[in-house]
Amino acid sequence: MKKYLEVAKVYLKVKLMWRADLIFGFISIVMKIIFASLLWGVIFRDKETVAGFMQNSMMAYYLLSAFFTQIDISEKISGDITLGIRNGTFTKYMAVPMDTDKYFLAMEAGSILPHIVLDVAAIFLIGLVFGIKIDITSDVAIILCALLIAFLGLLFMAQLSYFLGILTFRFEEISTFLMIKQNIMALITGSIIPLALLPEMVVKCMQILPFYYTAYLPSMLLIGRNGEEAVGGMFVMLGWNLGIWLLSRNVYSRYRVKYDGAGI
Amino acid sequence: MNVIEAEDLTKVYRRYIKPEGIKGSLKGLFRREYEEKAAVSHVDLCVEEGEFVGMIGRNGAGKTTLVKMLTGIIAPTNGSIRVLGYYPNKLEKRFRQQYALVMGQKSQLFFELTAGDTLHLFKEMYHLSEKEYEKNRDYFIELFGIKDLMDVQVRTLSLGERMKMELLAALLHNPKILFLDEPTIGLDAVAGMQIRKYLKEVNRERKTTILLTSHYMEDIKSLCGRSVVINHGTKVYDGSTEQLFERYQNNKKITLVFDSLTEIEIPEAFAGKCRILDDNGYKKVYEIPKEDSGGILEYFMRYKPRDISLDEEEIGKVVERIYSDVRVRA
Repeated sequence: MKKYLEVAKVYLKVKLMWRADLIFGFISIVMKIIFASLLWGVIFRDKETVAGFMQNSMMAYYLLSAFFTQIDISEKISGDITLGIRNGTFTKYMAVPMDTDKYFLAMEAGSILPHIVLDVAAIFLIGLVFGIKIDITSDVAIILCALLIAFLGLLFMAQLSYFLGILTFRFEEISTFLMIKQNIMALITGSIIPLALLPEMVVKCMQILPFYYTAYLPSMLLIGRNGEEAVGGMFVMLGWNLGIWLLSRNVYSRYRVKYDGAGI
Repeated sequence: MNVIEAEDLTKVYRRYIKPEGIKGSLKGLFRREYEEKAAVSHVDLCVEEGEFVGMIGRNGAGKTTLVKMLTGIIAPTNGSIRVLGYYPNKLEKRFRQQYALVMGQKSQLFFELTAGDTLHLFKEMYHLSEKEYEKNRDYFIELFGIKDLMDVQVRTLSLGERMKMELLAALLHNPKILFLDEPTIGLDAVAGMQIRKYLKEVNRERKTTILLTSHYMEDIKSLCGRSVVINHGTKVYDGSTEQLFERYQNNKKITLVFDSLTEIEIPEAFAGKCRILDDNGYKKVYEIPKEDSGGILEYFMRYKPRDISLDEEEIGKVVERIYSDVRVRA
């Protein structure tokens, strides 16, 4: 365990090396919040509620879902793996006494930390400066559930990226898989619009998929809605995490041994 | 005791033969033809503990493929293989704990951080105690003379300095076998010489078994008591390095540089033996059998060249000669 903690620390140190990247990341989330505030301000000018959301709830939802979406930087995992396998640098993970899946999860954990800190700071800063009130539930149990589901969501996304990355052993080119994932994600995470605005039937279908729980459900739980889905959501995400972990292990052990690595 | 035992080791790659042009690309959507290429073919190899073995061969000869099989990165198509008692491609952690791999063109280090940061990771990765870590780290820092570079970002290091760091990271856990794939590639003469010196020391002092692949004659000649020559995936020589070069490295390359345009007449005694490789009047390059190199050099001195260099024959030619010899004998 200690070695994976050290991996996370190394990637945290790498992230902290790039000051401009951190500053612009901070500015981008600030801009996003300001833009959302203006947009929803216009929409709510003549209305009290939109689809049952007050302006403060809508802003809270937007900020929280933007936060959960923004801190998921797992896409880098697939990118690193596919590049590594294709140009031969993946050997460095195979030749050391570590599990590659755990290595990449630790890498994600270390890389994500500065983003979490900066994003939380940006939300507080903007809230203070512009007086944006964010309505969050006071139910501690629901807050804990939401945070746990969000954690499982991040873990799932990292595992999914790892899985897509190692498909390079079999397919060599995985950009189509990544594109499909992106498109599904954009709709199902509710990062474009709250899923509550969609027909109930569609939402029911989405609840089977893990993406529903990565940003949407934790955000809704934190603004005091969908409380009845909290416990079920945790089990669904545990199941998806277990499933993708088993699948990745199987795919890795099966295709790694068939991989030629010719010319690299 | 043998730390590496491989018998009849073969690796066959399958590669797509794509017909040229758009038509060929479209055809490939529906039907593809593949050809099989043996990168390594029926190689037997035993390496004893503490040996320093050099693997020689031209590009694409199969040296790196062999190293990849020995380290478990790829699986052999056929044959049996045991390294430190393990089947490498199972990639058991206990096995990976006991060797290190350094590839000259690939890095284990984090370029944005210092080498010290990477070493901390390696300390945990190989479960080294604080005492053991400090002892090994300090030993190699002292040996490589890199104390001042430990707090410097890796990407700002020169290639030679980086290679020392790569070796330090690889040797930190005292591996039983060190696999080195072209460790001196791209290094200048001084850096190459230093790396060779350190490797010799590590092999002698720590009894580390080292398997080295290199294009450079100097690496093999000065380090490896035993050489394995690979050509087209087949082992064509396995034995003493000294005998190998004595027998197959037949020529020397002499380069002369003059201040003014100079014509040289090759004396009768060397005619037919001395081959001109390059001549632009100011710079002349000759190839001469090594037993005649002293004599002709003495003769060349009469022309008062500004600079002279005497080089070993390229490794490719030596390999070609061994290969031809083997074929003739077969």
